[in-house]
Amino acid sequence: MMDLRPAEWVGHAVFHPVEGFEDMRWKKSGSLKIAFGIVLLLFLSEIAYGRLYGFQFYAPNDKLFNIVPYIVKTIVLFAAWVVGNWSVCTLLDGEGTMRNICVYSAYALVPYIAQTFICVVLSHFLIRDEYVFLEVIHVIGVGWSVILIFSAIRSVHQYSAGKTVLAIALTIAAMFVMLALAVLVLALVQNVAVFISTVYAEISYRIRV
Amino acid sequence: MKKLFRDICALICSAALVSAGIAPAIASAEPYEVYNYDRWGEAIPSQAGYIAERAVSGYDLGVGALSEPEDIFIGGDGTFYIADSGNNRIIAADAELSRSVRVYEKFTMPDGSKTALSSPQGVYISADTGLMYIADNQNSRVLVCDLEGNVGLEITKPESGVFDQNKTFFPQKVLADKAGNIYVVLGNITTGAAMFSPEGEFLGYYGANRVQPTSEIVSRYFTNLFTSDEKRSRRSRNVPTGITNFDADEDFIFTCTSSSTQTADTVKKLNAAGNNIFANYDVTFGDYTPMYDTTQNKLLAPAICDIDIAGDGNINCLDFTTGRIFQYDEDCNLLFITGTIAKQVGGFSQVTAVESDEGHLYVADGQKNTVTVFAETDFGRAVHKATALHNAGYYEEALEPWRDVLKYDGNYRRAYIGVASALLRKGEYKESMRYAKLADAPKIYNKAFEGYRREFLKKHFTAIAAGIAAAAAALVLFGYKHRKKRKEGAHHDGPETR
Repeated sequence: MMDLRPAEWVGHAVFHPVEGFEDMRWKKSGSLKIAFGIVLLLFLSEIAYGRLYGFQFYAPNDKLFNIVPYIVKTIVLFAAWVVGNWSVCTLLDGEGTMRNICVYSAYALVPYIAQTFICVVLSHFLIRDEYVFLEVIHVIGVGWSVILIFSAIRSVHQYSAGKTVLAIALTIAAMFVMLALAVLVLALVQNVAVFISTVYAEISYRIRV
Repeated sequence: MKKLFRDICALICSAALVSAGIAPAIASAEPYEVYNYDRWGEAIPSQAGYIAERAVSGYDLGVGALSEPEDIFIGGDGTFYIADSGNNRIIAADAELSRSVRVYEKFTMPDGSKTALSSPQGVYISADTGLMYIADNQNSRVLVCDLEGNVGLEITKPESGVFDQNKTFFPQKVLADKAGNIYVVLGNITTGAAMFSPEGEFLGYYGANRVQPTSEIVSRYFTNLFTSDEKRSRRSRNVPTGITNFDADEDFIFTCTSSSTQTADTVKKLNAAGNNIFANYDVTFGDYTPMYDTTQNKLLAPAICDIDIAGDGNINCLDFTTGRIFQYDEDCNLLFITGTIAKQVGGFSQVTAVESDEGHLYVADGQKNTVTVFAETDFGRAVHKATALHNAGYYEEALEPWRDVLKYDGNYRRAYIGVASALLRKGEYKESMRYAKLADAPKIYNKAFEGYRREFLKKHFTAIAAGIAAAAAALVLFGYKHRKKRKEGAHHDGPETR
């Protein structure tokens, strides 16, 4: 039983929110390659959402397009989630490895990505009065993904429900801490860079004179 | 020899390049770059709606130099009235501004005595009563007289208890409505314009600005909850900036407020009850980004110091900071930006008043002591024609005028909206969608798309229905086969798992 190919495991996990991840853990399945593929799809879905949405709903400002925010709010955010969760749950007796956390969390994102793409496609066929359909799809997709994330974290660490909630809350806190540190480091690096470039400019002026 | 030849070649090439580069700038005769704003509030090059024709000085009118002209008004017969404040007189000039027809210096009071003006700052001629209203600033009075200079009514500081007797009474601007009620802008009154009955009786105030809920004012509100009455009475009070100037059309009074701090209510359209029609409009009057002054190292916010309602309903706002006239249509869509701070004709140093008639703008400058005449360009005429039709609801009739506008200026966003609306009305949905997209107008696009989708479904209904039926059939067939296959598979590994 449960001799599924790696791609079929994604479907199994998504359509069995309660037991899917447990089965995956039992069978030691889950592919890191597919997980990375899903994160890439997440990135693409956000770009599609920002750039390809039906014009009747949203007019994007082409002059201000920048790829960096999209990378930050998908790939970087996901990486921060994985690292944060791993560091928190290592302390909370979690059984998940970094690899498994990454794979399970990525699988849990599939409904969210799917709803984004569905909404982007549908937004080209609907008018503003029918926006409620898009909203319903959005809510279903997000809710489904939230349930899956919860289930994924519970299975990967073998937690009780209460402890899972605690772990997720702490993970989010850890992500904020990482954000603060990142900003700090960036500011520091920038200051150092400015300092070095100033010194360089000063010396080069002296040499020229 | 060879080197010389090469040098000459290089010179010719660079000259050609330079002239190609500045050719567009030469095309406009204004001493400034004409611009407008796009959908995202960014300044983009545009065509001039008005160009400066000439600057009229007092010598041109034959009355000697003007001194700080503070107000211009065009009477019903086209006569110009200029409040020549520094010379304490009102000048009436003919419709071409070529010579003065009369200079008002002395007025006859009802009892027969003569009286002179002192720094008159506002003049208004009512088309309904035929009387002239003068804000006689330094004499602390408003004079109401006929066009011969016979004063019929003199309004001085009201004795009424409603009027705070500690306040001075220095009228700056004056106007009268159809019923003959007189409105006076006073320098130090923040509660609106003082309103007087035709007989000169003080009626109250009209059209006060709102206090803008800035963070400072909100925090002061909360600290005031805990402070004693005595302390509270000594603090500065939250009062809005008083209105600076106003103009009236048939039914509404438009006020403007020039303030460096206040950004709400800088331009208002007031109905008879004093309610602001523009209160919920999402418009920034004047420039979107404040001007940076290099000499003072300061950001200068727009200060709308005069407002004028043209006969066709367009609103001209005069910005003291930048010396620009911002023309809006009746729905507050920006049409043109004209003028600048400059020495040349078309530039100003201290603008004081703006007035308009058919096809012209007149701007008084208090330091140059001139009145500059701007004439509507072909582009301006095209925009005005299209806007008037569009705003009156004649979208289809406005289609060709809007297309003309686009021939002059392909960046003009209102024109794309106009064309999209017209095509939508005509039922040409596909084209309408294209123009709505160019205009960055999702709402119009939405309507056009709705029509387009309806037509598309109607046209291809059979094909779509057949397609759906075929897809459903294929799905059912596929599901049936799939299930059969799975059942067979289950039979195979059934015994192993159990």
